[in-house]
Amino acid sequence: MKKRKLTALLTALAMTAGILSGCGAKGGESAPADKAPAKDAQPAKDDAKEESGQESASSGEAQAVTIWYYWENEGHQVTLDQLIQEYNGSQAQYEVTAKYVPFADFKKQLSIGASADELPDIAILDSPDHASYVDMGIFEDLTGRFDVSNYYEGTVNSCTVDGKLYGVPFGANCLALYYNEDMLTAAGSSVPTTWDELVETAKALTTDSVSGLAFCSVQNEEGTFNFAPWLWSTGATSYDINNENGIRALTYIQNLINEGVMSKECINWTQGDVMNQFIAGNVAMMVNGPWQIPTMQSEAPDLNWKVTLIPKDQEYASVLGGENYAVVNGGNVDGALDFLTFATSEEKVKFMMNQFGYISADKTIAESQFAQDSPYYPFVEELNYAMPRGPLAEWPSVSDALSLAFNQVITGTATPEEAAAQAQATIDSIIK
Amino acid sequence: MGEEKRLSKKKNILFSIIAVVLLCILLFPLYWALITSLKTEQEIFRNPPTFYPHILNTKSYAAQVETGDFNMFRSFANSFLISMGATLIAVLLAVPASYGIAKYHFRARKALLLSFLVTQMLPVSVLLTPMFIMFKNMHVYNTWVAAVLADATIGIPFSVLILKNYFASIPKDLEEAAYLDGCNKFSAFVRILIPIAKPGVMVCAIFSFLYAWGDLAYGMTFILDQEKRPITAGIFNFMGQYGTKWSYLTAFAVVTIIPVALIFIFMQKYIVSGMTSGAVKG
Amino acid sequence: MARLKKFFRYENVGMLFVLPAFLYMLVFVGYPIVHNIILSFQDVNAGNLVKGTRNFILFENYLELFKDSVFTSSLWNTVRFTVSCLVFQFIAGFALALFFSKPFSFAKPVRGILLVPWMIPITVTALMFKLLFATDIGIINFLLRSLHLIEKNIEWLTTPGTAMFALICANVWIGIPFNMILISTGLTTIPKELYESASIDGAGKVQTFWKITLPLLKPTIESVLILGFIYTFKVYDLVYVMTSGGPVNATHMLSTYSYKLSFEMFKYSKGSAVANVLLVILLFVGVLYIKATTEGEDA
Repeated sequence: MKKRKLTALLTALAMTAGILSGCGAKGGESAPADKAPAKDAQPAKDDAKEESGQESASSGEAQAVTIWYYWENEGHQVTLDQLIQEYNGSQAQYEVTAKYVPFADFKKQLSIGASADELPDIAILDSPDHASYVDMGIFEDLTGRFDVSNYYEGTVNSCTVDGKLYGVPFGANCLALYYNEDMLTAAGSSVPTTWDELVETAKALTTDSVSGLAFCSVQNEEGTFNFAPWLWSTGATSYDINNENGIRALTYIQNLINEGVMSKECINWTQGDVMNQFIAGNVAMMVNGPWQIPTMQSEAPDLNWKVTLIPKDQEYASVLGGENYAVVNGGNVDGALDFLTFATSEEKVKFMMNQFGYISADKTIAESQFAQDSPYYPFVEELNYAMPRGPLAEWPSVSDALSLAFNQVITGTATPEEAAAQAQATIDSIIK
Repeated sequence: MGEEKRLSKKKNILFSIIAVVLLCILLFPLYWALITSLKTEQEIFRNPPTFYPHILNTKSYAAQVETGDFNMFRSFANSFLISMGATLIAVLLAVPASYGIAKYHFRARKALLLSFLVTQMLPVSVLLTPMFIMFKNMHVYNTWVAAVLADATIGIPFSVLILKNYFASIPKDLEEAAYLDGCNKFSAFVRILIPIAKPGVMVCAIFSFLYAWGDLAYGMTFILDQEKRPITAGIFNFMGQYGTKWSYLTAFAVVTIIPVALIFIFMQKYIVSGMTSGAVKG
Repeated sequence: MARLKKFFRYENVGMLFVLPAFLYMLVFVGYPIVHNIILSFQDVNAGNLVKGTRNFILFENYLELFKDSVFTSSLWNTVRFTVSCLVFQFIAGFALALFFSKPFSFAKPVRGILLVPWMIPITVTALMFKLLFATDIGIINFLLRSLHLIEKNIEWLTTPGTAMFALICANVWIGIPFNMILISTGLTTIPKELYESASIDGAGKVQTFWKITLPLLKPTIESVLILGFIYTFKVYDLVYVMTSGGPVNATHMLSTYSYKLSFEMFKYSKGSAVANVLLVILLFVGVLYIKATTEGEDA
């Protein structure tokens, strides 16, 4: 008797939970019909906005278009806002708002949003992640709608899958070698251009309190970003590391640690931490990106530093970074496309790139963006040697295997041969 | 106070000194956070580290109030709202539940107690997606209500586990006396037992509040608009794609602790004494 | 209706008191638990999260996990970490609770202030300790060297063994106030008269502690330990921010590995499976707790 009542109760509850959860992942229930017309671009007033992308508003009201981005830099946020305000003011059909989703949460939020059918109309995301989301099927095919013929090949590749374009590159960056000019001159060294020269110079610059070289070596995508140039300079690729080239790359990095010119601490330093070490004078040379320049100029205006190409083993190599625009399918695609057409016009691209301190993905713009004596100029030169990571839907797993291998040789928990073999085994199981 | 024995003056001073020393040792990391917040980024990375800021940097505190979309006061208000809401739900539901489990020995008792524990046994990350779907269907996604509902799921089981001991330690005679006076089970509970278990209820309210206050995952995942997010979300202003801004981050830590610490210090007499005044006298 | 009234007449009325809380948890956490179990029996990754079919592969995810060296080491790490933390923070919290129960003038204010570590968002604490344990610019190495306890800087967070120790230190620092205040409040449930009659009977301090304090504190101790075990076993933010599971996966816990699998590598089903292993282990511990605490209580 008791048992039956209990069972009935539990069944009723399960049904309640089922109803509350919509009985499944995809939103079986449609968004509510009550839509308040969008008033201000920011701050967003109600959550009706998030769902309005799924419906077309009645004529006379602007349709909402939502963008998710992860830039926490206040300057970036303000610039994006300016762009959006300009767009909103220039036409009355669409109203764009942008939402900040922190970088650490971005991928998680996209995954959850995809499961729950709660995605923005445009996402500005990190280029190596692009392919995975294409695989998920959430990005719209933009082939033929945007002219990317002048863009750097690598940037376009990062959002191209099976020959179809699934995004538009926002901006490009890459890694290059920064060096402390005063320290270099004091040691009587010249600017290194090859791996051997780099080790020698680093040794000359290393003292009790100064490390010759540093770069971010964390075991994550940021680390892989920094390991890639070394790997690729030998001629090895991200998918084929267990050969003499790959092993040579691993050995070189391990050597840097053993010779005492690079600190093991790098496995805990983000690129920002490395920059902090550099401007504090604890590190003589670092591999880092152009986005650090504004901070370096404001925090350490008296520091004498210059940028050059990353020294090569077989050939000059660097790694491509930056963000891409992507349009989410099932959202307000027309609105998204309209905004993107506005945002990717040459004038707007120039504005955004200069405000952000980014290099344009459009070659024709990039080459005239900076004067020859600008600290950014070497990065534009380096871009010619920069290759993208992936693109591959399973890139995160490959990336993890690569950064693990480098971490193993840095911490001494595996030899270069063992690390390369282990990484290769993992990579083979992924790409089959 | 009720303490029969008084400590000798010597012991009093000795213990007080030990207490202060313990305080200094245990709170050293906080001191370090404070001075880090006042150093320049360069000085933070100096080797060897400095014990006090050689160059005072107050930029980090100025940035706390307003950074882009983020407004400190509004975020505090959000946190407060969410934490109070979660605490309210937790106390309202957990107090009777723990009483029921403590005082009544029905068949499903052990299973129910275990089930409360089980709800705590999954890491938050795998709960996010299904909860998100639920909140979206309830139309509370991107509102403070979602965070309240989610945070309460931490406070309730915790409170049940702790409070049940309080109710269990109240002697049956008090209840019997209440029934003799004409109360039924529910009024006896409300009129007699809750006041006696007040210290326990206070502990649960405070822990539920603090858990909700410190929550980051639920607040970030279920709320999309910066201006609706709790104060913990502010940490991401200083932790981004390319690294951490240490002086700003520690300034953030100092600033977020202050209100809660102030509440504790001023309400200290009421709260901590309330918690430790002793439940049962005779 | 009459049957219902009869059902709830005696002990069973207790169920009504528990019902609201139970229903709340069932809806908001019960469904996610079921959802997670189902997910772990499927084969979901980026390709079929939204579109495509989710095939049921039952226990295959679990079998593959046990061949994964990172999983097995996370499992072992989590157990080691939890037991170590629990031992230290419980003993320290208990000792402090006893110490601060003595009526000296600074007792109450200092005890109140000692709660502050627990009020700081864990992410912030993790970053703080990361800075404290840094090899060259960290203050801990500096102090140890100044006291001549070590000669060379210890590479705390870049060496597998010491990284775990640093994590334990940070977690114990957070856990001590939690234990202390709960035991303090537990101490107040012990009637003062018991202590008085014990001292009249001539019982010494140690005897009083073992024969009166401890036994009467048993329920509180048990609650504190089980809650502490569950929360510590689930540790995520602290590890993720302080070491991200490194160096070379040496400090991955079940929850951090689950997150990495689900949200960084898009292997959602694998991540769920790891979470379920965590659940099963905790369930086992929970059952032990229930058995131990409700023995002899059944009428």
